[in-house]
Amino acid sequence: MNAIIFSAGWGIIMMFCSFLVKNQSSYRHIAAVGLLVLLAANIFDTYGVDFFHIDSGKMLAYTRFGFVFNSIAIASTLIYVLLTGRDIERLGRYTAEFFTLVFFVLCGVCLLSAYNNLLMLFLGIEILTIPLYILTGSDKRNLKSNEAALKYFLMGSFSTGLMLMGIALMYGGTGTFLLESSRLQSNLYHGISFLEIVGLLFLLASMCFKVSAAPFHFWTPDVYDGAPSVVTSFMATIVKVAGFIAFLKLCTVRMSVTSTAIDWKLIFSIIIILTLLFGNITAIFQQSVKRMLAYSSISQAGFMLFALFSMNEYASKGLLMYSVAYCLATIGLFAVLVKMKDVTFEGYNGLAKTQPVLAATNAIFLFSLAGIPLTAGFLAKYYMLASIIKTGTYTWVVVAGVLFAAISVYYYFRVIQAMYFKNGEPQMESFGRSFKLGLVVLAAIIIIVGAFPQALFNWLYF
Amino acid sequence: MNSFVYLLDTVVTGNSADYVPIGIQIIFAAGFVATVMIATHLLGPKRKTAEKLENFASGIESHGNARQPLAIKYFLVAILFVLFDVEVIFFYPYAVNFKSLGWYGFIEVLLFVCFFLTGFIYIIKKGALKWED
Repeated sequence: MNAIIFSAGWGIIMMFCSFLVKNQSSYRHIAAVGLLVLLAANIFDTYGVDFFHIDSGKMLAYTRFGFVFNSIAIASTLIYVLLTGRDIERLGRYTAEFFTLVFFVLCGVCLLSAYNNLLMLFLGIEILTIPLYILTGSDKRNLKSNEAALKYFLMGSFSTGLMLMGIALMYGGTGTFLLESSRLQSNLYHGISFLEIVGLLFLLASMCFKVSAAPFHFWTPDVYDGAPSVVTSFMATIVKVAGFIAFLKLCTVRMSVTSTAIDWKLIFSIIIILTLLFGNITAIFQQSVKRMLAYSSISQAGFMLFALFSMNEYASKGLLMYSVAYCLATIGLFAVLVKMKDVTFEGYNGLAKTQPVLAATNAIFLFSLAGIPLTAGFLAKYYMLASIIKTGTYTWVVVAGVLFAAISVYYYFRVIQAMYFKNGEPQMESFGRSFKLGLVVLAAIIIIVGAFPQALFNWLYF
Repeated sequence: MNSFVYLLDTVVTGNSADYVPIGIQIIFAAGFVATVMIATHLLGPKRKTAEKLENFASGIESHGNARQPLAIKYFLVAILFVLFDVEVIFFYPYAVNFKSLGWYGFIEVLLFVCFFLTGFIYIIKKGALKWED
């Protein structure tokens, strides 16, 4: 409860700062302090110190897994704000409002990691996405940003409608909004209702939309490309992973008990293959690094879907690992991308000569996304593949996963090729020494987590 | 497929005959709308003038580029109205349960109003309602 209330509260504080504090550059410092407070509050939560005793009436159920994920999301946002804070300021006159919306999104993330009621799932998804519609269009004078915001809003609200319909059908089928199977206590219940299956399929479609899994991924490239780069960085990482955490909970509780009536594994294996296929094959043909990263986020979503397929302990651990590896690497890549004047592959030509530190850290982030050993991305992919092998069925999905991971190396390495083996004079915005230091720390975290995964998993137990 | 048929059988919540009135109502509603639309189309006189054929957009003349800058006052008032309208609607269930909720409920509602007030203060302080320059 701490994290939910603190995030909403600090959002309001940021809102008031917009007219109480005149100095534009102090907003990001206030936001960073707020995120630190939020992180501390969440760690207090993790160890059972709750500042607010609020009876949620079984609507929220806190787990250690959810708390650890909250910490990861908040820490990633802190890194994001520290690295790209200056670029957020350049976006326009509404810097404080930008941070306000980021805090509100975090409130939605904290709800999604703890929901135990389908209404809370709906509320969490809404709190998460409504600020994003605004953030996507925050570059008001840019037509592409407007287009992206409108597209995202229209399609997002449609998928939200699907979700509501699904929740209503599930209520019709089971007579409860609660996630935990209360049917065991209910005597009225005689089997799996047809309505519940249809409702779950609706929910599946709308959640697939939110995490941009094929065949519901068509909005992703346009929205990620049209939104300001700083917003894309936030949207593609923390928000997407939070969607997966909510999806995983839905799968492990509701979908696993209905698996006698419908073959979820078959449905998920089809979604996984389609997502990997569309994401990877289209990413190869992109000329802009930003658009390539949008498609790469679709293909990474394909790998995160492995967790929903297998739903075992490896899967939840793997998803945690994946959220660290994917979030940090993508935030780092976007932090550099924001500084580039030209975001095509040619724009990166010769970066290693002019900015060796940026090029080296960028290479590490790309290694992590591609899943090269000794980075967090390798272990994340390893856990995902291992989770499917543990289930003992559908090994062909694993084979396909490995193949597509190999394909992804091609377009990730094109950036490295441009940076190291081509000549050119990359045009960049100015940045300070602290920016370089931040990137180095980020790369170090990725390698440390990749070399010692227990550093992350110990949080689950101690 | 077998399992699906089996599922349909297991849900015994009511007789399907119970839904006949709803079906009749749906048919009546759709039929009424269709009849009225066809009737007005056939019966009504047709005098087409330029003003009549123009799209109606809240009384604002609809010509020129859609990206023209537009006074935002109308939209601000509309949005603020919706917000406070929703707030008032939330009072209805509270009013019904006023006695049973007691002081706890009163504090909760005060909190709710306070959140609205913070938003309102924000709007005023940002100068969103300052219309005269």
